[in-house]
Order: sequence, then structure tokens, then C-alpha cells
Amino acid sequence: MSRGVAYYILGRFLQSVMVLWIIVTLLFLLFRLAPSNPLASYIDTTFTKQQEAALLARFGLDKPLGEQYIIYLVNLLKLDLGDTFSYSGKTVLDILGADLPNTIYLTLTSLLLAYAVGVLGGIVMAAMRGSMIERVGTTFTLMTRAAPQFWVGMLLLTFFAFQWKLLPSSGIGPPMVRYRWETEWDKLMSPVFWRHMILPTFTLALYLHGLPLLLMRSNMLEVLDQDYVTMSRLAGYSEWRVMIQTAARNAMLPVLTALTLGIGYSIGGNVVIEHVFSWPGLGRTLVRAVQQADYPLAQGAFFLIAVIIVFMNFIADILYSLLDPRVGASAQAQVS
Amino acid sequence: MSILSIRDLKVNYHTQDGTVRAVDGVSLDLDESQRLGLIGESGCGKTTLLKAIVQVLPRNGHIVSGEIKFKGMDLLKLPPAEMRQLRWREIATIPQASMDSLNPVQRVGSQLMKLLRVRGGYTKKAARKRAVDLFDVVGLDTERLMHYPHEFSGGMKQRAVIAMALALEPSLLIADEPVTALDVIVQHQILEVLRRLERELNLTVMLITHDISVVAQVCDSVSVMYAGRIVEEAKAEPFFASPAHPYSLGLQQAFPNLASPRDVLVSIEGYPPDLREPPAGCRFAERCPFVQETCHEIDPQLEVVGDGRMAACLRSNEMDDLRARAEDPTLWQNVEVTRLVGQPPTKSTDAGRGEPLGRPTITTHDEQADQPLADPCNVPLAVGNGRADLLLEMNDVSKRFKIGGGLAGLLRGDKEQTVYAVNNISFTLRRGESLGLAGESGCGKSTTGKLLVKLIDASDGQIVFDGADLSSVDDKELLGFRSRVQLMFQNPFEALNPRFTLYRSLTEPLIIHGWKDENERLQRVVETLDRVNLRPAEVFLDKYPHQLSGGQLQRVVLARALVLHPDFLVADEPVSMLDVSVRAGILNTTRRLARELGLATVYISHDLSLLQYTCDRIAIMYLGEIVEIGPSNEVINKPQHPYTQALIAAVPVPDPTIENPPLRIREGVPRPTEQFIGCPFAQRCPEVMEACLNVRPPFIADEQGHQAQCHLYGEHHNSPKLHREAEAAR
Amino acid sequence: MQQEASARGEPAGVATMQFRQGSAIRQLWETNLEVFQRDRMALFGLCIFAVFAIVAIFAPQIAPNNPLTPLKNNEGDWIKDAMPYWLAEPGEDEAEGYTNTFLLGTTNIGRDIYSQLIHGSRSALLVGFSAAAAVAVIGTVVGLLAGYYGGWVDAILMRAADVAFGIPFIPFIIVVSAFLDPSIWNVVVAMAVLLWRDTGRVIRSQVLVIKEQAFVSAARVSGASNLRIIFVYIAPSILPLSFLYGSFAIAWAILTEASVSFLGFSDPETISWGFMLQDAFNSLALSREAFYWIVPPGLCIMLTVMAGFFIGRGYEEVLFPRLRRM
Repeated sequence: MSRGVAYYILGRFLQSVMVLWIIVTLLFLLFRLAPSNPLASYIDTTFTKQQEAALLARFGLDKPLGEQYIIYLVNLLKLDLGDTFSYSGKTVLDILGADLPNTIYLTLTSLLLAYAVGVLGGIVMAAMRGSMIERVGTTFTLMTRAAPQFWVGMLLLTFFAFQWKLLPSSGIGPPMVRYRWETEWDKLMSPVFWRHMILPTFTLALYLHGLPLLLMRSNMLEVLDQDYVTMSRLAGYSEWRVMIQTAARNAMLPVLTALTLGIGYSIGGNVVIEHVFSWPGLGRTLVRAVQQADYPLAQGAFFLIAVIIVFMNFIADILYSLLDPRVGASAQAQVS
Repeated sequence: MSILSIRDLKVNYHTQDGTVRAVDGVSLDLDESQRLGLIGESGCGKTTLLKAIVQVLPRNGHIVSGEIKFKGMDLLKLPPAEMRQLRWREIATIPQASMDSLNPVQRVGSQLMKLLRVRGGYTKKAARKRAVDLFDVVGLDTERLMHYPHEFSGGMKQRAVIAMALALEPSLLIADEPVTALDVIVQHQILEVLRRLERELNLTVMLITHDISVVAQVCDSVSVMYAGRIVEEAKAEPFFASPAHPYSLGLQQAFPNLASPRDVLVSIEGYPPDLREPPAGCRFAERCPFVQETCHEIDPQLEVVGDGRMAACLRSNEMDDLRARAEDPTLWQNVEVTRLVGQPPTKSTDAGRGEPLGRPTITTHDEQADQPLADPCNVPLAVGNGRADLLLEMNDVSKRFKIGGGLAGLLRGDKEQTVYAVNNISFTLRRGESLGLAGESGCGKSTTGKLLVKLIDASDGQIVFDGADLSSVDDKELLGFRSRVQLMFQNPFEALNPRFTLYRSLTEPLIIHGWKDENERLQRVVETLDRVNLRPAEVFLDKYPHQLSGGQLQRVVLARALVLHPDFLVADEPVSMLDVSVRAGILNTTRRLARELGLATVYISHDLSLLQYTCDRIAIMYLGEIVEIGPSNEVINKPQHPYTQALIAAVPVPDPTIENPPLRIREGVPRPTEQFIGCPFAQRCPEVMEACLNVRPPFIADEQGHQAQCHLYGEHHNSPKLHREAEAAR
Repeated sequence: MQQEASARGEPAGVATMQFRQGSAIRQLWETNLEVFQRDRMALFGLCIFAVFAIVAIFAPQIAPNNPLTPLKNNEGDWIKDAMPYWLAEPGEDEAEGYTNTFLLGTTNIGRDIYSQLIHGSRSALLVGFSAAAAVAVIGTVVGLLAGYYGGWVDAILMRAADVAFGIPFIPFIIVVSAFLDPSIWNVVVAMAVLLWRDTGRVIRSQVLVIKEQAFVSAARVSGASNLRIIFVYIAPSILPLSFLYGSFAIAWAILTEASVSFLGFSDPETISWGFMLQDAFNSLALSREAFYWIVPPGLCIMLTVMAGFFIGRGYEEVLFPRLRRM
């Protein structure tokens, strides 16, 4: 049994590595074969041919494509993502290293909030199937999923930041204290930071809560139809035990997987929220890098997001196989 | 003293299409330590009755009126909390589909212990001890407590559910189809467990089933339910000796009996009335061969008809006479129900049946009646014995499947395994001959069926059909082969495209085989529907599958198989999904048409009594091999191979006076992922000898062509017995 | 029943032939009809699309002004930040030298917001429907091929899906738009390249189920070819599923297009609702509490996206009565 699970994990890991390799290769091709020269915006018209050549050499762009690819892969393995164009003297890794924690704080807080609300809401909706409350509730949830996040963010900003001036409108702290925090720990301990978190977190959570809620609701409805739930009713368990201990517990499994996947996709998908709230995270950096044609930075940010997504997809698979004993034994099940 | 007493119970389901009166006035008494068998076909309300007793009806189900008293308490007036306390402590239930009744993500032991602790007030330690005891009682290895349900076989799951049902020592145990869908050997073992527990614990049992032989084996009294009512109530022995209701009569004659086979099985044509608008008169009138004018008007009540027996029939005073008349199987065939599902019943009576509804009969019943041959087991073949009438030949055919292999499997970490589904089987089939393939699930009989119709290709060996080797046919020859060989499926509800009208489904094979003319196609389709007794055919042409009953659908499936006039038909469990009452009808029709069309047939079934009824020869398969093959009567009456002997001994007999002998083999077919040097059955064989483990047994044949692959009859029959070792090897 | 009974005695050949072929297209039409008959919300969604479609087609006729042209007052100055006429102080417009007929006011450079809103429906529907069509078609074909043929075809296509699942969606569109000329079609292309993954996987698993059903085996035993089985037996059963995913894809496409425009990666010459919101955001409309500018485009996006959700859920309702997923 445990050996089967180990095999499964190893196999999934190899598969993830392969997927990542293909993505990295596609990324390389995308940036090299693009119609415009990656240095076009960097190279001034005043540059001489020699200057241009030196620059190309510096970024390794004078070598044949195959060689460039090898260098690129080796550098990725060394986590050397190169230098930025637009932030002088900083490496891509410096910039992304500063951004990543901010993105993670925002994503995790919103996800936890959204999933807590979503799971509870889903159970309630399933229990109240067919009632007026359920119809209103699910319609509201659908609306939060249909409304563009940036628009909800703009409305909240207008009210809370501009009209009532209750909360700050952008960034992670007032401009003068922004870089005062020596360590991430100091930042996390600072009430100013958390005050800045409120609006973006709420906006993101409002959008994110829909998926777990609807998923939990439909899983509950499905599980409640299963024979083992009928069995626990027949066995005289209380309705609370039937709903929570049996039904909700089993219905939670796919939701937990969705949460794991959600971490990956939200880190990549927060671009819009980070833009609206000027949140100094990965997404905002990516947008800026593309706008300023800072290709090493854009490529690096994209790479980092892809790594996180692939890794979380891997974790989700593993988690599911650990939570549901049937998955690990799929090979055996096929035999009989 | 009556432990459970139900009075005039009525349960309705509210559906979009109207109110279904699922249980319509049922009264029932169950005494302490009585074992009642509640018999009925699907949709008769027996499961609803169970759900009403323990009050777990679905949301749309309501108890309209009546009374349910349990040990003097009125269950319908009990507050929900007290009712909940009563469940399992007093009334334990083994639900239908109990295979899925265990929570798949919790260890079986934890589920059992949770039940003991939460519902029984056991301490953790006491619960563990009790769980171990219970597993012992139902014959499960106590190590299994730590396993998840998916690691259990079907029989083991059923045992685990029985253990849970007994956990709190209930005074009443209700079991809903406890052995349905289990293999015959497992079924036998479970019934044995139930019988033993009944005796040891003096249980009061209500057993709900469609299978009268299960009732005969386990119960001491019988209630027959039909269309929401109880139509007969009796002690088991008089019931099986002389049923007192036409429906029971029909049921009894519809059931194949291995011990005393009938020449002809009866089919109760049609299906129960629509319970949204039950008929005013007798509910069985539409299908009853003894129906009179008054039956359609007067609703018969359950009345005493003799020593403690009750029946609801207007003609119960003539029952002895009717019982004699019922022996004639043609009587039952004259009932024709062309009604579609959800339509009101048509009125017909005994007297009017001679000229059915004044329409000109296309063919007379005498020609078309599904009359069996005088002795179905010794059919004199119409054709000679030369090689000319050889239709099909299987020479050392094997089929292996590889699973978990390939790049994807490698990446997922699945280890590649080979499943030896079919191993070196050989047999021949003559034109017009019928062969039965029997064995437990996983024995390779369905794979053999697929090989025969070339749904899959053999890994090794040769399949020769009418002189042509199937492995080397080109596309054109393959199309020709396809027009001559057909397959009939187990589940009629899946065998037809739900999006096609019946005409479309039936005309597809004709289109594929180049029948250009629409009129010719229509003609053939109508003619074929008529042949399978779907008359008038025109009624069925524009219907969709969901508008037909299971029995009608299976006839359509048969019609589709026959529409091209093939030479060879493979029928894979053709009736296992159908109600007992209509099974015989399908078998009789298939048998008649096979004779009319000179069709060779291979029946695949787990049910030996069915094969005995329909086949000239029977082959017994085990782990992909044929272990015994021969004329049906020979195989059934003089089984040679210990496996065949066990299979036959395990078939429950629909006669309470005959108790099945205990089996000497264990349930559970090993996985077909290894190959054996010796006999594949050696692991389970009660007669296992030293030679069985190392030497391949040869086929030993007698002069009737009855062959068995077993060392008991060969040169190694003196090899030392290995009882101990075999026991330890398990 | 009674009329049919009268045909009993007649010879088979002359029986009526209306029941001949329940063609696949008619079947599909009936399924679609059932969705909108059964589910009122789905019908509501369809109505929303219909209204926006009419608005989009007749946008030039409906919109009072050119959405891109800054409007000028009598003195030749731009009419910046005009309030909607129903919010404006009476007489203010006269003082500024123009007649205020603006239903939703003007932008900070004097463009008519209402006209922009009308024209915005064009890009939303264009992107929504073409991306959805691309996603549904690619996903269906991939799912059919992978599910039916299995083996290497399946392995390759499903690994491709894994790769697509590993690529972050919005960042991918941003990067792609950076290399290509700004155009609303970038979103369509990027969606077609990535979003077939969900549809493909679901349809594949559905094909695996249908493929194993007895009626498909029956067709094979009758000699039906692979193509016949795929197109006559399997495709009609999974097409409603493609419609389901197509409906959801409309919603996602409209949302995505709005996001990408909002981030400033769309063609500035094409008006879209996302672009309007970007315009509002960048010109600090928020701090001026210019709700007449911020609210309408967002509401339009929400309405069209919900229309897609409603229709998708209608299909779910019919296809999987028990499992209502999102």
C-alpha cells in the first residue's frame, strides 16, 4: 500500500518536472522567436554597432539558439534569472524575492478566508436545498464570481478609501514607511501593513469564495445521495453526525484539492488585484516588466509563477491520494 | 408474540408526474424469532415498506395512513429523537446495495467501532474487543479491521455490513436483497452465515428479495408483494408446495430449479401496473392467465384460504384446479401486454383471449409459441456430425491485458501487470448448437464472449469462423463476419442508444450493411419485431428506450441482434438484469428463434440452472480456463471437476425442505495476474493433491464428450492429498 | 395509442415513416430546447445575450456620439468631466457653453460615456463568443480523439493538457499581448491556446464512459466504422457538454478580456468595457466618486458574464440533474 503511494508520488513528481521543462522551453521560444528583438527597447538609437554587440554579448544573445537554450536551462537550474533592464543594478531574483512574500500574504489570507466562508456556506446551501435562502445565496455567489475583481476593488476603493477615508487606497504602507521594515517579520507585525491588507484581501476573498461554496454544495448533494450516508441514517446517528462527520467530511476532499490548486492559480491570477491596489507583488511586477519591455524580469516572473502553479498541482494530486485511500490503489482497482 | 405489526400502511411518493402509491394498504405481522421472506419484483414497494418501517423515506415519500407497531410502540407517533434511538439498537437494517454502504474513506474497523461507541455506549477498549468478536462471528479475518472498504471483496463487504447490523444486538434484523449481485459461491457462504446466526442468536428476520430460492433457504414464512399490496401470506413449506395466488404460481414456475428441472419455464408477460393510477380491480389481472370479467372490477382482499394461509384472489376457492391448469406453460404465453411504460392497462379476460381484440393475427400462436423442445437438454441436432456443419472453432485461444503500462503508467508510477483473462481455451460449436459458459465473475467468460464476436482480438491462438481465421480477415471479410455474428447484452437499459428511436436502433445494422431501400429496411425491422413477440410492431417503431419495460427492451435488443439474420449469437447474461417473472419469456423466445433460424448460440451466465435450461452443452470456466465441458445434463448431474461440484452445490434450491450442503471451498477468486504451473484451482480445491501444484492436469473425456481437466481422474489420482498445506496457503 | 392501433392490420410496408431518422441535429436541437424550457434562469441568460447582441449590431445607430471623439462645446473647448444630465446642477451646462444631453456624462477628455458603453458591447460579445467557440471546438475534438482512440493519442493530448494547466493564464495573455500588436483577438488566441484544457479533460472522461456502454459495442458488433461510431453514437451525446463548457467559456472570455483591457494591454482604438474602467481608474475617477463612469461598464460585464453562467448551469441541470457544479 505505502509502496504504491510512494510510486505514485514519485511518478507524479517526474511528470511535474517534465511539464515544467516543456513550459520553460515554450517560454524560451516565446521570448527568443518573438517578432521584436528582446533588446529593442533597451537599445537606444544612439548606440553604436559595437555597443549593441557588446550588449547582445552581455545577455548572451549573440550565440546560436541551441547554445542559448542550454545556457538558459543551466542558469534556471542555478536560479540565475539574469539582470533586469529597468531597475539598474538589481538582479531579477532580487526584485522577485522582494515581491513574492507580499503576493503570498495576500493570497493565503484571502484563500483561507474564502474557503472558510465557502465550505460553511456550501454546507448550509446543501442543507437548505430548494429554499428561498439557497436561491438568494447562490445567486449572490454567482454575482461575486461574475463581477470583475478590479471593478469590485474600484468600488470598494471609492467608498472606503476616497469617500469615507477609512482605509488606505494603495500599497503595503505609507510611502515613507514602505521600505522601513527590516525583515518580513517586522512587516507582519506591523498594524500599518495589515490595514493596507484589508481591502485587497476582502476583494480577493469575495471573488474566491464562490468556487468552494458551489463545489462544497454540489459535493454535499452528491454525497448525501450515497448509500453510506443512508446507512449512517439507518444506523441511527444524529442528523448532525450524518451531515458533518460523514457527508461534509467526504465532500471536503475535492474542496481541499481545489484549495491547493487555488493557491497556485491565485498567485498567478492576482495580477489584476495587485494592479488596482498597487500591491507590490509578483503580478504587478509582471505587468510593469511587460509595459517597460523588461524581458528578463517578465520572463523571470512568469517562470516563478509557473513553478508555483505546477508545484501546487503536484501537491494537490499527492494530497488527494493521501486523503482518499482509493486513489493510491487505483492500479489494483483496475485489475479486478 | 408479535414484535412488529403493520396495519393498512400506505406510502406515497410525490413526483413531477404524479403521486405514486408505492405501498397501498399493507398489513403484516412478524412474531419473535420468525424469519419472514418478503418476495416481490422490482417496483412492488418492498424497499419502500422497509424505509417506512425505519422512517428513512426520501424527501418526497410520505406515510399517508396506517400504523406500525414495534414491541407495542407506535412508531409513527414516536418523536424523531426516540425513533433514531430505536434504529440499529432495536431494528438493524442491511440496506440494498450494501456494497456501497461502507464509507469509502474510513477503515472498516473504525466505522464499526464508531458505531459501537456512539450508538452502543461502548468504551474504546470494549468496542475494540466487540469489533474483533463480531468479525469472528461473520467469518472475517480480524486483521481486516484495519482495511479500507475498497480492499474488501463483495462478499467481505457484505459480511462487514452484517457484522455492523449485529453490533448492537437488535431484536429485529431487516435485510434488503442481502445476496443479490454476489457470485453463487459467495452467496452460499453469506446465506450460511445468516442461517447460522439465526439459529445461534435466535434472530427475528425480515428478508426482502426477488429470489424465492433465497427465501426457501433462509425463511420460515413468506409474504408475496405485488404492486404495493401483499397478495399471499403463508408458511414456507406450504407456500412452496402449493402457492395460493396466480402470481405466486407463476413465480414458482418461472424459477429454474437445478434439483428438479422443468421442461418449460413460465414467463409472466407484461409488468406491474402504473402505481400512479392503480387499476380498480385486481392489480395482477392484466398479467393473469385466469383472469375473469369480475377481476377488473372487484379489488380482492387478503383473505384466509386455509390453515393460516392468506391470499388475495377472487378465484382462490378454485385454486386447486387453477394450480393444475398452471402446469401448462402455453397458458401463460397467451397473455400479451403491449402497453408501454406509463400507460393505462388494457382490459382483457380469460374468455376473450382466443381472438385478441379482434385484430387479424399475423401468425397463429401455435406456430409462434415459445414452446420448448420435449427435452431441451438432449436436442437432436437437425444437422449431421461431419465437419461441414462446424461453425466455430477456438484453438488454444488466450487473451492477456496489460494494465498500468506505457509512458503514462510509468509516469504515474503504476506497475505494469498482466491479466491473464483467457488462457488456452479450445472448443468447437456446430451450426444450431447452443453452448453455455459458466463461472464466477472474473473467470473470463465475458472476455471469451467478446473474443467470439471480435470486439477484442485474441493474444494467442486461433478463432476459426466458418473456415476463416478471424485474425487474418480484411475489412471486407470483417464486414461480412459482422453481418453473421451478433451479441446480446446484459443490461437492456444500456444496450440501446437512448437518443435513438427503436426503429433507428434496429435499422442501423441494415444501413451499415448496405440496405439502401428504406421500405425493405422497414419491412425487415417490422418482421423482426414481430418475431420477438413485440406486437404490433408498428407501435414500437417510434418509441424511445425509456418508454419500454426491461423485458420489452431486451426483446428489442434481441431483435437488433437478429435483424441481419445472423448465424451465430452470443448472449452475455441476457436476463440477469430482468425480473424473474419475465426472464423465461426472453429465454424461450431466444431458444425458439435459434431453432427457427438455425442459429448457433453461446450463452454466458453465472446461473447454471439457466444454462441447463437453454444449452446443449455447458463449459465451466475458472481463472480464464475451461475446467469442464460436456452435455448440459452430464455436467449438471455428474459434475467431475471439484469446482463444478462446488458451483452446483452452491446454487440455492427453491424448496425449503432441501437445505444446501455446506461448501468445502472458500469464496474469492484469486486475481488472474499470475500463471500457474499446475492446476489453477489448486489454491481453493478441497481435493488438492501434490501433483495439482506442479503438473498441469490433462483433459479426461468420456464417451459422451464430457471432459474435465482434473488430476482426480488421471494418472496422478494417487498423488498425496494436501489438505493441511492448502489450508496454510490461504 | 388508438390511432396506432388502427395500423395494426395493415401490411408493414405501408406503415407511416415519420419516425424514420431522429437525426443527430434534431436531437441536439431538442436538448438545447429542453435546457431553455426547463431552466428559467438559462432563458433569462439567453435574453441578456439577445439584448446585448442587438445593441452591439446597431451600436452606431444607438450611440448618440462617436465613442472615441472628444466632444467640444460652443467655444471649441473639450467638454471634460460632464456629469450625467440627470445629476448635473441645472444651468451648469449653459454656463459652460453646451447642451447637456449626456446620459452618463463624459470622460476626463470629453468622450461620451454612454456611447462608449454601447460600443463596448461589441468587443465583449465578439471576444466572448469567438473565444468560447474556439475553446469548445478544440476541447471537444481533443476530448473525442483522446477518449476514443486512447493509447498514444491520449497520452500526448493529456500531457499537453497538463502543460496547459501549468501555464498561468492571465500572465500568459499579458506576455503574448506584449509581443503581438494590441488587439482584442490576442485574448481569443490565448484562450484558445490554453483554456481547451478543462473542456478537453471532461469530454475525454465522458467519451470513456460512453465508449464502454453497450450500445456502442452493439454498433461495433454490427460493423459500424470508427467514424460512424464517433459521429453517430458518441458525438451527439457529448455535444451538450461542449455547449455547457462553451457557455462558461463565454463568461470567462468576457471577464478575461475586461481584465486585460483594464491592465492596458488592449487596442486603445477599440472601445471595451475593461478599457473604459482602465480609463476611469487612470484618470482618478475614483477619487472624484464618478460613479456614473465606474458603475455602468462593470454592471454590463457582470450581466453578460452571469448570462453565460446561467446558460451553463441550465445545461448542467439537464445533463447532470444531481451534480450542479460551477
